[in-house]
Amino acid sequence: MTASVHAGFADTGSRAGVGRVTRVIGPVVDAEFPRDAMPDIFNALTVGVQLAAGSRTLTLEVAQHLGDNMVRAISMQPTDGLVRGAEVVDSGGPITMPVGEITKGHVFNAIGECLNLKEGEKLDVKDRWAIHRPAPAFKDLQPKTEMLETGIKVLDLLTPYVKGGKIGLFGGAGVGKTVLIQEMIVRVANNFGGASVFAGVGERTREGNDLITEMTETNVIDKTALIFGQMDEPPGTRLRVALSALTVAEYFRDVQNQEVLLFIDNIFRFTQAGSEVSTLLGRMPSAVGYQPTLADEMGELQERITSVRGQAITSMQAIYVPADDYTDPAPATTFTHLDATTNLERSIVDKGIYPAVDPLASSSRILAAEYVGRDHYTIASEVKRILQRYKDLQDIIAILGMDELSEEDKVTVNRARRIERFLSQSMYVAEKFTGIPGSFVPVKETIEAFKKLTEGEFDHFPEQAFFMCGGIEDLERKAHDLMKHE
Amino acid sequence: MPAQLQTLRRRIRSVASTRKITKAQELVATSRIGRAQERMAAFQPYADEITKVLSALASHATLEHPLLVPRPRVRRVGVLLITSDRGLAGGYNANAIRTAEQLIARLSQNGTEVLLYVVGRKGVTYYRFRNRPIAASWTGFSERPGFMHAREIGDTLVKAFLAGADGNVEDAGGHPSGDHGIDELHLVYTRFRSLMTQSPEARLLAPLGVSREPGLRPAYDFEPDSDTLLAAMLPKYINNRIFSALLDSAVSESASRRRAMKSATDNADELITKYTRDMNSARQAGITQEISEIVGGANALAAAGGQD
Repeated sequence: MTASVHAGFADTGSRAGVGRVTRVIGPVVDAEFPRDAMPDIFNALTVGVQLAAGSRTLTLEVAQHLGDNMVRAISMQPTDGLVRGAEVVDSGGPITMPVGEITKGHVFNAIGECLNLKEGEKLDVKDRWAIHRPAPAFKDLQPKTEMLETGIKVLDLLTPYVKGGKIGLFGGAGVGKTVLIQEMIVRVANNFGGASVFAGVGERTREGNDLITEMTETNVIDKTALIFGQMDEPPGTRLRVALSALTVAEYFRDVQNQEVLLFIDNIFRFTQAGSEVSTLLGRMPSAVGYQPTLADEMGELQERITSVRGQAITSMQAIYVPADDYTDPAPATTFTHLDATTNLERSIVDKGIYPAVDPLASSSRILAAEYVGRDHYTIASEVKRILQRYKDLQDIIAILGMDELSEEDKVTVNRARRIERFLSQSMYVAEKFTGIPGSFVPVKETIEAFKKLTEGEFDHFPEQAFFMCGGIEDLERKAHDLMKHE
Repeated sequence: MPAQLQTLRRRIRSVASTRKITKAQELVATSRIGRAQERMAAFQPYADEITKVLSALASHATLEHPLLVPRPRVRRVGVLLITSDRGLAGGYNANAIRTAEQLIARLSQNGTEVLLYVVGRKGVTYYRFRNRPIAASWTGFSERPGFMHAREIGDTLVKAFLAGADGNVEDAGGHPSGDHGIDELHLVYTRFRSLMTQSPEARLLAPLGVSREPGLRPAYDFEPDSDTLLAAMLPKYINNRIFSALLDSAVSESASRRRAMKSATDNADELITKYTRDMNSARQAGITQEISEIVGGANALAAAGGQD
C-alpha cells in the first residue's frame, strides 16, 4: 500500500499545471487553470508573494472545483501580499511530510518545513509522504485489550488505557488537559521503546515551547517528532496539521514497524478549523454552527489512528469541551471513536483535586472483568457505586444536612469523601506548581489501596491524609503524621 | 442542552417534593412544641412538691438507703440516653449521642464497664449499627411520653441499681435473671432552654445526692417511720426525674425539628431558585442557538442562491 502511494507521487512533475489567481478572500484563494491541467482536489499549489520584507512562497490546498476551470483553494499561510494574476503552480500531489528517522528530534509545521534547524544544518529527507492517505483496511486491524499502565491511580483504576488504543482527555477551558497530556508524555514516552509523535493543533505556542525545552532536558526529544500548527496559524494549517503528524506516525508504524505514541493537543481545534474553513468555503452550517461534514472529517482522521497487525499506535488526544457542554457536537462526535475517555470536570478542579477526573463520567472499553481481571473490575465498580451514592445524596445533604442520613449512608458519604480525595495525585510536571514530587503507583497497589478503602480499613484516617498522596505507604505515613499532631 | 434541561427539571421536581415534606414537618413540629410545653408546665407543680416532701423527709431520716449512698467501688455504670424515634430533627440526636459518647469515653477511661439503656429508635439504631450491646431500650413514645413509660424505665433502672454490680437483677417474677446490676446511673437528655437553644446534658441520677435543708424544719410526724417512707419515696422520685427528662427532651425534639425543618425548607427554596435559574438560562441558550442556526442557514441559502 505504502509503496504504491509513494510511486504515484514520484512522477507528479509531468502533469503539473500553471494557473492564475483570480480572487483572494482571506485564506480562500480562487485560481483559474488551463482546461487540461486542472489540479485534483487536495493537491498542493504554490504561489509566490512579493512583500516589502522579501518574497515568500505560499502553499494552498485545493478544496473545491467551482466549474469554468476555476478551483477554490485554502491557504496554509496568511495571504498578505497575494495579488490577482499571480502565478499558481500545481505540485501535482497533496501536501507531503518528511518521514522516517530524520523527523525525530525535529519540529515541523503542517507543510513539512523544519522549524528548529540549527544554523547550517540541512535536513537530509529521504522520503516524503502525502498527508492524505487511506485508513488501514478492515482486515489489517488488530484490536488490542492490553492495559497501558500510567501510574496515576484514578486513570489506572477507573479508565484503564489500552495499549494501541485511542484515549481522549475531555475538559473545558483550564481544567488541566494540557498538563495531563504532558504528564502522559513524561510517564509513558520516557520509558517507551518506540517512536513518539506530538501534534500541537491550535494550542498556545508557549506550551509548545515549554514542551520542547522539557523534552530536550529529558532527552525524549531524540525519539520524538513534533509537528505544530498553533493558534496563530490560519485555519487551513490547523485543519491539516493533525493529518501531517499522523502521516509521520503512520510511517513509523507501517514502514519501520515501530510502536508509536501519538499525542494530539488539541483535537477540538481540528474540528474548529474545519468549521472555519467550511464557513469560508460557503457551506451551510449545521448544528451549533459546525460544518455539515463534521462527523465525516473526524471519522477520516480517527480511522487512520489505529493499530494494525503487529504495530500499534497508541494515541492520546486532548479534547476541549466548549462551555463545559459535553453534548456539543464537536466533543460528542469525537467520543465515539475512543477506547478510553477521561473527563476532566470543573467542579472537581474547584475542590482542588488534580487530576480533576470525573470518576463517574469517565470510562474505558477494557474496564471489564475479562480484560483487567475480576479484582480490578469489582473494585472499580464498588468505587463508582460509592461515589454515585454520594452524588445521589448530595441534594439531601444540601437540604437536610449530614445528620439526617441513615447510618449506612453516613459511612458511605465518609468513604466517598475519602475516595474522592484519594483519587487526587501529585504529578511530575506539576511539581513546579505544587512543590510535591510526582508519584507512580503500580496498578496492583492502586487496586489494593482502593480495596481497603472501600472495605473501610482507612475510615479512621483524617480526610486530609488522602489528599495528593501516592500509594498505601504514602497514605499511612501522612495519616500518622496528621493524627500525631492532633 | 436538552439533556441538561431534563435533568434540571427532574431535580427541581425532586427538591420540590422534599420541600413539601420538610414544610409539613415544620408545621407539625410547631404545633407539637406548644402541647409539649403545656405538659411540661403541668407536671412542674407535682415535681416541685415531691422534691419538697423528699427533702423534708430526708431531714428526718438516716440517709442510709442504697439509693443515697455512693458505692465505694464503682465497677459498672448505667447510662440512660434519651433520643427521638424519628429523624428530621437536625442535630438533636447527634448531639445527645455525642454527649453520651463523651460520658461513656470518660467512664471507660477509669476502667468501669458501661451498660447502655436507650430511649428512642434513633439511639437504638446508632448503637445497633455499631454492634454495641444495649442493656434495655424503650421506643415509640419520644414525642408524647407518658408517666407509665417513665415508671417502666425507672423500675428497670432502680432494680438494676439496687442489685449492684455484684448482685443479680431480679426478673419480672422476682427470680435472679443472671444479669448483673450497676453501681451508678447517669442520665443523658436534652434540656429545653428556649425555642432557639436546647442543650444536651449528662446528669448523675443515682446515687441521689440529698441536701438537708438548713434552717427551720417543718414539724412533721411520720407514719410509718421516716426511713420506711423514704425507701418507698425514692424510686418514685427517680421515676419523677426520668419523666421530667422525657418531657424536656420531647419539647427539645420538637423545637429542634422545627428549626431543622425550617432551615431545610429554606435550603430547598434556595436550591429550587438556583436550579430554576439554571434551567431558564439553559432553555434560553437553546432557543438562541436554534434561532441563530435557522437565520444562519437561511442567510447561507440566500447567499448561495444569489451567487448563481
